[in-house]
Amino acid sequence: MKKYIRNIAVALVCFLVVVVLNFALPRMLPGDPIAYLTGMAEEDMTPAQYAYYEEALHLNESGFRQFIYYIQSLLDGTLGYSYKKEAVVSALIGERVRYTLQITLPAVILSTVIGLFWGLHCGYKKDSLTDRLSTSGLIIFNTVPAFLVGLILVIWFAFKNQWFPYAGLNHPDAVRGTFAYFIDRLHHLCLPVLTLTITTLPSRFLLMRNTARKIADEKYVLYAKTRGLSDHKIKFSYMLKNIAQPFITMVGMSVSACIGGSLVVENIFSVKGMGKLLSEAVYTLDYPLMQGILFVTTGIMVMSIIVTDIACIIIDPKVRLGEYREK
Amino acid sequence: MKNKRFLPLIFGLLLLAAFILMAACPQLFTDYGQKEMFQPWSKPDSEHILGTNAMGYDIFTELVYGARQTLLIGVASSILTMLLGTFIGVAAAGKGILAPIFNGLINVFVLLPRLITLIVLASFVGSSQRNLILLISAFSWVGIARNVRAKVIHINGETFIENCTIQGFSRHHIVLHHVIPNLYDVLISRFLLGVNSCIMMESTLSFLGFGDLYYPTWGTMINFAYQRGAFIRQAYSYLLTPGVCIMLLSLSFYFISLWFEGQKDTISEG
Repeated sequence: MKKYIRNIAVALVCFLVVVVLNFALPRMLPGDPIAYLTGMAEEDMTPAQYAYYEEALHLNESGFRQFIYYIQSLLDGTLGYSYKKEAVVSALIGERVRYTLQITLPAVILSTVIGLFWGLHCGYKKDSLTDRLSTSGLIIFNTVPAFLVGLILVIWFAFKNQWFPYAGLNHPDAVRGTFAYFIDRLHHLCLPVLTLTITTLPSRFLLMRNTARKIADEKYVLYAKTRGLSDHKIKFSYMLKNIAQPFITMVGMSVSACIGGSLVVENIFSVKGMGKLLSEAVYTLDYPLMQGILFVTTGIMVMSIIVTDIACIIIDPKVRLGEYREK
Repeated sequence: MKNKRFLPLIFGLLLLAAFILMAACPQLFTDYGQKEMFQPWSKPDSEHILGTNAMGYDIFTELVYGARQTLLIGVASSILTMLLGTFIGVAAAGKGILAPIFNGLINVFVLLPRLITLIVLASFVGSSQRNLILLISAFSWVGIARNVRAKVIHINGETFIENCTIQGFSRHHIVLHHVIPNLYDVLISRFLLGVNSCIMMESTLSFLGFGDLYYPTWGTMINFAYQRGAFIRQAYSYLLTPGVCIMLLSLSFYFISLWFEGQKDTISEG
């Protein structure tokens, strides 16, 4: 129990660090904070504009007041104002985040589930041919950069064979809201999700395999074997329960890994998601937008960690039955 | 078991030697200068093994010259990462008031979304080569610090440390002369794998267009290829070979680290 609560506390501290970092960066770095916060060059502004921005951004007030204003902008859900795009940051992100999640969530589910079953199997049948082949194969896959996977898939499936579209999330002619639109979306999602799954799978697999491998030496597994239980039963009724906790923690971690990975994927497949928004923000030097994106991704990540920790508390019988609560 | 690992070691060393040679004297591999221009977008043939790019530069030459920058960033940031990780790891394993602080620091950095934080920071401080090295190492030390911390805690329980304490050596002396020398196996394998993750990080950043354009690495090359429409020109070799090189370089470091580690199980944390 204590361990999970500590994890949640650490996640919240991490969130706080990002918030403070976001606040401090434009104000601490050499250069005019106004230039950072509006994304415009100082020389291009008239004195009247300059004064207006200084007033609007509360830069003429004390540091503490500025921080309060900053926290306020986070709490009321606007996350600041992007002067480059002339829109509220949260609206810009909110419009894009669902595309990122459409790529990320299926990839998280696929890679963790495949990693779990495959890793469990290979860890149980350790040093068998399947285990050795898949482990060394995936170790080699682990060294392949994400963009290489994406590019190979695009070249093979979209250019050489034209089985899948190579860019965007929908055909331009598709009508919104119809069933065909949905199918079209799925068709477009295949390659990005596949790329992300392939790049995140090796580390998930290796983690699960190593955990299962250690457990396969435990006495209860040996006992189950000597009782003549089927492999299937041993794997899914005995070992699965014991690797459930590291597995759930891993799912939480892989959400953040996949969101990072989706930056690359969105760039390759020209998906207008959050990653693309981040690149646009960087190219146009739209600092408030960048900070908003960092804030939102950290938020998603912290939330996933908290959810998985609560899931761990719920399924952990030691905590649930209260046997070891005092420890 | 020992014999079996010699094969990957030799393979890894040969590959790495080839890349280092490329980085040290690129003139050996190619007859063309880095900025020598030819017919743009020519197909791969005997003159230009991988063809030429949008500006008419020979792609193979670009690849050879990119090795130096890629290796430089990878190795430099990995060395910095190792120093930082060792320091924080040892500090987090100590007993003073600082230990829980460093411990907390490790736990927070594990969770930070690395790539996005790096991109945001890089755009704030500017992405010159030096900044990239500093930023990458500032966000990659967590793995090393955790391993070092675990190992130091293990070593602290050993009798020879107890012996030193009884003999009245200061904690400072014990750490410097007795604990750190015993960390070498962790450090070597983490260093080699660290080079991999740093190169991977750098190439991802460069691929997304946040690299240093004055010192093009393999990641930057792919970014250029992608931006300038290598897809439509079907210059697939331009798009893929830098990626394959990154993969081979990572593999060579991995194979060497395998030999040092003596067992395969410790690569689980990517």
